[in-house]
Amino acid sequence: MSTQALFHSLQISTFATDLGKLNPLYGALAQLFHIAGLLLILSAILLVNLRLLGAGLQRQSVPQLVKATNPLIWYGLILVALSGLYTFLPAADLYYHNPAFWTKILLLLLALLIQFTLYRKVTVSKSPNHTLAKVTALLSLTLWFGVAFAGRAIGFV
Amino acid sequence: MSVINFLQILHDSQLGTALRESLYMFPIVEGTHLIGLAVSVGLILLTDLRLVGIFLKTVSVQDVLHQLRPWVLGGFAVTFATGILLIWAEGPKIWQIPVFPLKLTLIALSGLNALWFEFKYGRTVAEWGVQAEFPKGAKLAGWVSLASWSAVIVCGRLIPYLDARSL
Repeated sequence: MSTQALFHSLQISTFATDLGKLNPLYGALAQLFHIAGLLLILSAILLVNLRLLGAGLQRQSVPQLVKATNPLIWYGLILVALSGLYTFLPAADLYYHNPAFWTKILLLLLALLIQFTLYRKVTVSKSPNHTLAKVTALLSLTLWFGVAFAGRAIGFV
Repeated sequence: MSVINFLQILHDSQLGTALRESLYMFPIVEGTHLIGLAVSVGLILLTDLRLVGIFLKTVSVQDVLHQLRPWVLGGFAVTFATGILLIWAEGPKIWQIPVFPLKLTLIALSGLNALWFEFKYGRTVAEWGVQAEFPKGAKLAGWVSLASWSAVIVCGRLIPYLDARSL
């Protein structure tokens, strides 16, 4: 099955059409949860990445900051995933034709990949290699903030 | 001159028209507004959570306040500048959505709360920041900040929704 066909069958599934029939106020509510989750993720990774760049909470160890921020990232991911699916499923065909949506998905996959590889590797160490730490921080910030940026563009392209 | 007349002049100006008609400028300005607010409001919310004793309890509150400040202020500058551009382009329409004046009021409230905190507690944080229990007023400012900034975000996100309803 092609991606386009997959998106279409998602949109016409009973679940998606039921979601689509709900009060539009829930759609606005989903957007509020989406931005709340986004803020949780971005502020948490910003706090850690600024530390890796040597420009944030310098007196705290990286593992200490990661331990404090990881729950925020997880809560944030759950919020954006659920609210994102709520918004996406009833209108999947529309998103299939939106280039900003695909840019967002690509950036999101890359951000998650870095999150569970490089970021994890660098942040478990109390004194990570400086260059690697900085490269990781820049990559992570660019990708996550890129996700937000591309996401905001979906409504305009 | 009323607010709406002034916004209409901005709207009809060359910059206002160019912003609305450009294919790329509008999403870029909107995207940058979002990024600026994620940096500024995001870090403020983390600071507030520290202040009320929920987050980063082992980190000195003085460090949190001072070391994050340049980023908070920088993020604000970006959010403010892009916000002005958005008003420039669509002011008359946005002004008529009641949630927008409410958003501005809440931003003013958040700013006054931050100023009050800064004058009353900011300068003496080295003294009270090391104590087990923070002054009641400092914690209250943290709660007020959490609530008012969250409300600002909610109002901002609702602008396009309430707009569509009123068309």
